Amino acid sequence: MGKEKKVLSGEKYVFSNDSQKIEILEAAFDYRGDVTLELVQGQTIEGYLFNRQLTKAPFFVEMLLPGEESARRIPIEEICAVTFSGKDPADGKSYEAWKAKKEKERREEAKKIESEMKQAGLLD
Amino acid sequence: MALTFFLFFFILLFTMVPLSQVWTVASYVIGKKLKGVKRYPLVLMLEPLFRCNLACAGCGKIQYPDHILNRRLTPEQCWAAAEECGAPIVSIAGGEPLVHKEIDRIVEGLIRMKRYIYLCSNALLLKKRLDLFKPSKYLTFSIHLDGLKEEHDESVCREGVYETAVEGIKEAVKRGFRVTINSTLFDGVNPERVRAFFDEAMRLGIEGIMVSPGYSYQKAPDQEHFLQRNKTKELFKQILKDRKKSWKFNLSPLFLEFLQGNIEYDCTPWGNPTYNVFGWQKPCYLLQDGYAKSFKELMESTPWEKYGFRSGNPKCANCMVHSGYEATAVNDTFGSWRGFAKTVKATLSL
Repeated sequence: MGKEKKVLSGEKYVFSNDSQKIEILEAAFDYRGDVTLELVQGQTIEGYLFNRQLTKAPFFVEMLLPGEESARRIPIEEICAVTFSGKDPADGKSYEAWKAKKEKERREEAKKIESEMKQAGLLD
Repeated sequence: MALTFFLFFFILLFTMVPLSQVWTVASYVIGKKLKGVKRYPLVLMLEPLFRCNLACAGCGKIQYPDHILNRRLTPEQCWAAAEECGAPIVSIAGGEPLVHKEIDRIVEGLIRMKRYIYLCSNALLLKKRLDLFKPSKYLTFSIHLDGLKEEHDESVCREGVYETAVEGIKEAVKRGFRVTINSTLFDGVNPERVRAFFDEAMRLGIEGIMVSPGYSYQKAPDQEHFLQRNKTKELFKQILKDRKKSWKFNLSPLFLEFLQGNIEYDCTPWGNPTYNVFGWQKPCYLLQDGYAKSFKELMESTPWEKYGFRSGNPKCANCMVHSGYEATAVNDTFGSWRGFAKTVKATLSL
């Protein structure tokens, strides 16, 4: 995974060893979108992974699933792959849109003032 | 005798806060000290939902999938958390608490439990929802305002929010509610504008101001304007120099000294435990390092030594937020005569 900030949305990781599994599950815990777990029995579970215990036994992750009130606890030995399946709501896109809008407004305001000053003969 | 002295001191300290609240907090803290309890909570941070009607640049609390944002703590869950934790003060945060359809029941129940509630709101719905509440010494609306109109609207990424919030504040004050403002400051703010904002806020008739540097949430949209520790101290020195008598703060005087760099403190992460739709958050209101099923489990299973400025944890390096350091300031006041004397000195210099 590396230390640099990586766009995880849409990525799938099939575990090849235990340390990779821990690293990816930690990233899934940190991720603010839904993830899909593939279990060794072939079942898949999609939901929000909000808790984990990866450094001491019992090793597990906990998820909240759409439409289910209680959290599900899944032992990590049952998980064989993780897909970062949901959109990441912490990707900052809405903030980028707000900044772009404000920047556009500021540029338009500056142009308007420039035009008014020119009309008034106060600017060449 | 000692209690009378502390009480007198607190009256002096928080002249704007009702005497019963002063008494409740003072007797709670002294009681814990006398029992030798090392770690105890002061304020329960209750997040009954994460859904908000704003998406502020510096907030990292609300970035979740819809099915998480649609979850709510029930009033019963909220009361059980308050009972389990036992803190005398409950800060209801979120998300926007006024979006919760049963917020009035949550508040009523907590008032029955004689908890002092700070209902944190952006006030967009305050005017509409005021009829749900009755003025009470136990209930304070803590309204999010980060500055004058230009700064606040920029901070919350929506125009017109400042004016709506001010209307809500005025209406709540008029109807006899306790109202404070809760202000978060970021890098680049102009100290003179902040001072002008404090003047303006006090003119609204509020009880007091809460102010804190923003925490550098990893998930917040704007990652460029979080304050570094040295900048925070410099900024607060400039803001609080020649403090005006008209400014009232709903904060410990020692916390204000800390913000100006006049005292060095470490964080008390268990001081403001947080309960939300995931459970009891480890270790504090700002960091999410997992969840515990019960308050007892939170207190017993969290490796507290891994958190706070002195731990060297990089996530704590620049944090000077009141949710971590107010409890330290209060503990300092009651921990020794020296701390008590510092508080008196800081109070008298206000």
